[in-house]
Amino acid sequence: MKKDLARSIVTTLFVAAVLILFSTPAPGQVQATGGGVAMTSLEHLKSKSSGPAPRTADGKPDLSGLWGPDPHFMGDFSAALKPGDVLPLQPWALKLTKERLPKDDPNANCLPAGVPRMAPYPWKVIQTPKLIVFLMEGNMHTYRQIFMDGRGHPKDMDPTWYGDSTGKWEGNTLVVDTVGFNDKFWFDSSGHPHTEKLHVIERYRRPDSGHLEFEVTIDDPGAYTKPFTLFGHSPLMVNTEIMEYFCVENNQDISHIVGTEKAGRAE
Amino acid sequence: MRTMVGVLVTGLGLLVAALPALAHHSFAAEYDAKRPVTLHGVVTKVEWFNPHARFIIDVKDETGKVTTWNLELASPNALRRLGWTRDFLQVGGEVTVVGVLAKDGSKLATARSVTLADGRKMVAGSSASE
Repeated sequence: MKKDLARSIVTTLFVAAVLILFSTPAPGQVQATGGGVAMTSLEHLKSKSSGPAPRTADGKPDLSGLWGPDPHFMGDFSAALKPGDVLPLQPWALKLTKERLPKDDPNANCLPAGVPRMAPYPWKVIQTPKLIVFLMEGNMHTYRQIFMDGRGHPKDMDPTWYGDSTGKWEGNTLVVDTVGFNDKFWFDSSGHPHTEKLHVIERYRRPDSGHLEFEVTIDDPGAYTKPFTLFGHSPLMVNTEIMEYFCVENNQDISHIVGTEKAGRAE
Repeated sequence: MRTMVGVLVTGLGLLVAALPALAHHSFAAEYDAKRPVTLHGVVTKVEWFNPHARFIIDVKDETGKVTTWNLELASPNALRRLGWTRDFLQVGGEVTVVGVLAKDGSKLATARSVTLADGRKMVAGSSASE
């Protein structure tokens, strides 16, 4: 009897703790999640819609819309692995991750996030049959073009922050294939690295009107011992729009970032 | 039983520690969550720009000595989405700011809340609560 009571107290405590940890904060309430206040500011703007996903005139799933970021793709992207999976970092890549300092994070220096890193700001999908465009509010106010017209990747590419993306439909899934990356961006603020051998395959699905699901397979034989897949979710954002965000406008932080603490999970 | 509670508490501690908090930079590398500060002063400048809105205040101590503080907020975009408007902070207005000090010892803090003389208060941090 005594044992049952103790067990039920522990269960109640655990449920209460989980509720506190994962409850949706009210607008203006500060909560410790990836992206800090910028993420909190989006909480009350998430769509509650769970109706069927819309389709375009040509019958494809319509992914158009303003989507919220997934905090697992910010501080430490291993948070987006399947539970139990670990990042297959090569030794040099693990060493570099540990050595990197927060002041050198390209994001802190207002440089682009690259793929699949996210900033705590919304991004917009503009979909046409032959071209899909992602507009990013932050961390750079920038864009990605996904060519849907059947072209391949160019043979001679200069490495870039977002690479060259081609896309195709596999049933209800948009499959985006990207190569041609530079090695400058960090995968997250923990500093996980990659090389120019990086090849990313993203698979986007809209299970209902209010949600986007995606899987990102990272294949970089230069920095990882095998390919691995990350899983993400984006909520549809309503009653807001992409807003102008030029990070370089007033970035006073760098000279004050003197600590070594990173935002992500411990290695 | 005690072991179970211990495991539970440790587990929760790890969970909380695992939740990252950052804007476009590592919060913990710039600010010290263990050094909270409350400042009362007069606004001398408002910078409503990305990546962080900022405002400058003059704080007078008992001896009349004035110290100038640079206070970081979230980005204007995030503040707008939290219900802020650009005119909430007025040059010449008195404010009370609860925040966290910068690690480098400069007169810089990240604000968690700002309260005006008339009692209006906004959650303001460029950081999450840690």
